[in-house]
Amino acid sequence: MNILELSNVEASYGPVQALRGVSLTVEKGKIVTVLGANGAGKSTILKTISGIIDPSKGQIRFNGEEIQGRDPDRIVRGGIGHAPEGREVFALLSVEENLRMGAYTRRDRDGVASDIELVYGYFPILKERARQEAGLLSGGQQQMLAIGRALLSRPKLMLMDEPSLGLSPLLTQEIFRIIVRINREQGTTILLVEQNANMALEVGDHGYVLEVGRIVMEDTCQRLAQNKDVQEFYLGMKAHGVRGQRRWKKKKQWR
Amino acid sequence: MKASANHADTIPKVFWHGVKTRAAKTIFRQKDLGIWKSISWDELGRIAREIGMGLAALGYQPGEVVSILSNTNREWMCADLGALGAAGVVNGIYPTDAPAQVEYLLSDSGSVIAFVEDDEQLDKLLEVRARVPKLRKIVVFDMEGLHELKDSQVMSLDDLRVLGREHDAAHPGEWERRIGLRKPEDLAILVYTSGTTGKPKGAMISHANVVLTCKAYQDAFPQDESDERMAFLPLCHIAERVGGEYHAIYSGAVLNFVENPETVPDNVREIAPTVFTAVPRVWEKFYSGVLIGLKQAGAMQQLAYKVAIGVGFRRARLREEGKPVPAWLDAAFGLARLLVLNNVRKLIGVHRAKVLITGAAPISPELIRWYMALGLEMFEVWGQTESCGAVTSNIAGKVKPGSIGPRMSHAEVKISAEGELLVRGDTVFMGYLNQPEKTAETLKDGWLHTGDVGKMDADGYFYITDRMKDIIITAGGKNITPSEFENHLKFSPFITDAVVIGDKRPYLVALVMIDHENVERYAQDAAIPFSNFASLCRRPEIQELIQAEIDRVNEGFARVEQVKKFRLIEQKLTAEDEELTPTMKLKRKLVNEKYRDLIESMYVREAA
Repeated sequence: MNILELSNVEASYGPVQALRGVSLTVEKGKIVTVLGANGAGKSTILKTISGIIDPSKGQIRFNGEEIQGRDPDRIVRGGIGHAPEGREVFALLSVEENLRMGAYTRRDRDGVASDIELVYGYFPILKERARQEAGLLSGGQQQMLAIGRALLSRPKLMLMDEPSLGLSPLLTQEIFRIIVRINREQGTTILLVEQNANMALEVGDHGYVLEVGRIVMEDTCQRLAQNKDVQEFYLGMKAHGVRGQRRWKKKKQWR
Repeated sequence: MKASANHADTIPKVFWHGVKTRAAKTIFRQKDLGIWKSISWDELGRIAREIGMGLAALGYQPGEVVSILSNTNREWMCADLGALGAAGVVNGIYPTDAPAQVEYLLSDSGSVIAFVEDDEQLDKLLEVRARVPKLRKIVVFDMEGLHELKDSQVMSLDDLRVLGREHDAAHPGEWERRIGLRKPEDLAILVYTSGTTGKPKGAMISHANVVLTCKAYQDAFPQDESDERMAFLPLCHIAERVGGEYHAIYSGAVLNFVENPETVPDNVREIAPTVFTAVPRVWEKFYSGVLIGLKQAGAMQQLAYKVAIGVGFRRARLREEGKPVPAWLDAAFGLARLLVLNNVRKLIGVHRAKVLITGAAPISPELIRWYMALGLEMFEVWGQTESCGAVTSNIAGKVKPGSIGPRMSHAEVKISAEGELLVRGDTVFMGYLNQPEKTAETLKDGWLHTGDVGKMDADGYFYITDRMKDIIITAGGKNITPSEFENHLKFSPFITDAVVIGDKRPYLVALVMIDHENVERYAQDAAIPFSNFASLCRRPEIQELIQAEIDRVNEGFARVEQVKKFRLIEQKLTAEDEELTPTMKLKRKLVNEKYRDLIESMYVREAA
């Protein structure tokens, strides 16, 4: 069953069209990833889903219900959490206050308390720093906090925007391990946008490749990782050619 | 028309005559960092001389072959004229060719020097050079990313020119001697035909072939130093090589090299050529661009276009039928142009065009009528590599859409008993390199057997119905010429190319290549979800869209000639793919083989 369906979604920043007709589906319980270079429109997809941007065209269906153009708070209440790019934690609030901000739409105090414990379970370091101002956390810890904060709304679908941004390879691995655990243990469906294609293809079930606002490819992550174009343009693997160095790029064909 | 270069009977002599007489005038332009830069005849003469003398310094002998592996650009032309000036023979290789093809062409042509565009093309040569022992030197136009390279077989074009300058200083008179060395009947260029069957064949074109073709072109499509042309088709192809480069050298018209194949539409608008030769695919693209743009325009604009183009069509039809155009219609057309059609012409970039020439592939007559309705003259011409380019052409004021026109002044054309068009004249090629038996099949008693089947009307206008080997004989015994159907289909903005199949089959079917951009926009407008190209092709709505196009064309054909089923090619094909010729046509034979399963699926009887 598809928890999320985008059909022909277009979105613009003023005169600049960022999405030129994107259709994609996210199956319930899976990790789906969208790969793409800078400016391909990856973050715009997530922002359009969570209501930060209204699409100029197309439908977004969440559990069969059209949600495009709704206010973000209604969408969060409906069960979509968003861990934005660059974390955007509230720097002057404490770690715990940040987590509570994530539960702003909820009224069940007990549930919130147990969910905070759940987040501390996944990220023990956050418990240690519970009283500290979030602005004093390291980048990796802030990312953990952003994910934890999104979890606090008890989302059925979690949107994750480049969780690996600015993190060391080791920390990236750790974060991704936890993302997979959240998916498996909580049953949270995840739509993951990443530049770190290697990591994303490893943890994802299904993937899309986005280029200048269009989807040029979709397949299982396993097959995407085997694809020649994906290997050359996203995984940095390429034949070195006869000279042992190569500057030119072959044309992308996406097949 | 000036009596220019009439005494010059080889390409180097025509070229050198131009350098002497047109000295400071512009011969071509190319963009440098976004700015159009002009090169004068003097400068081109100096560069070509340096290249030619550089080759001489490398021990290059008259009659030896150089190959050029590059996109269409100024260096291509400089290297070509340099090598021809040094009394050499020049062969072009398509930049989209794979290393194995490059190897074959280098070996078959016996090339001793190869010019390559950049590191990408160089890598192809480095991969195969061990198997091409005759190759002595590789000259690179653009050294970006290669300055670290230490390889005694590779040098830059700049270094070659320095070498040439020194050699020239030490050997005065050598360049002039070499310019005069070749005779009209000598081999000038090799043009490999794309070869839909077997290995490509190298057509040998003599200096006389080229010079006499230029002369005939000048009679049919006169141009001079005030004319602007676009150079964007592959220079390996006879159309751009002779119709573009050599005709420009002959007439003095200015060539404008496009930046790359993707920027052609922008460059057309910037240059606004006065003489414009292109292949049908380009004309189709412009047309569908206007149509799609119109769909996004307001209702008023759409109405204005409809009325204006209607007036244009009406006037064009009268002219086509040779009937007088009433004064009121002329006036209405003037208004239509002023208010609407001139903008359409500007949108494409053909507002200054005196003449549009289309050739190298069949074109839909409706498309020609559309350009005529814009108030433009469009001539369909016909010829092939083996005839050194066009030998028939439509005539100003007497254009018959659908016809390739009467024979041109320099060639005899007749139709054989089998219906095949035969050509005789001084521009018929010398034969295929290393393939005497293929030459004998093609040249019989001085007549070039073109393989095109056609007819001639009472006015001497020829019509091509098909390629001889493409004719389909269905299981029912009916002879069918597939290209007619295909051309009508290609007129649709949603279809780029199609191949009709049905030889020894109960009915006709088609493989269709959709126009990605236009179909994508259609899907987007109609809210049809899709992700990638294949998923777009599989959408039932898109299948219906193409079915509707097929149905539309079917209406104009008899029952046995109608296409009963079709399949879309679900891969987006590019020039690098073997399925396409460099001019982006589907190769019939190859498509038949490669998509056999897909074709068979159209003949499987549906389970009852």
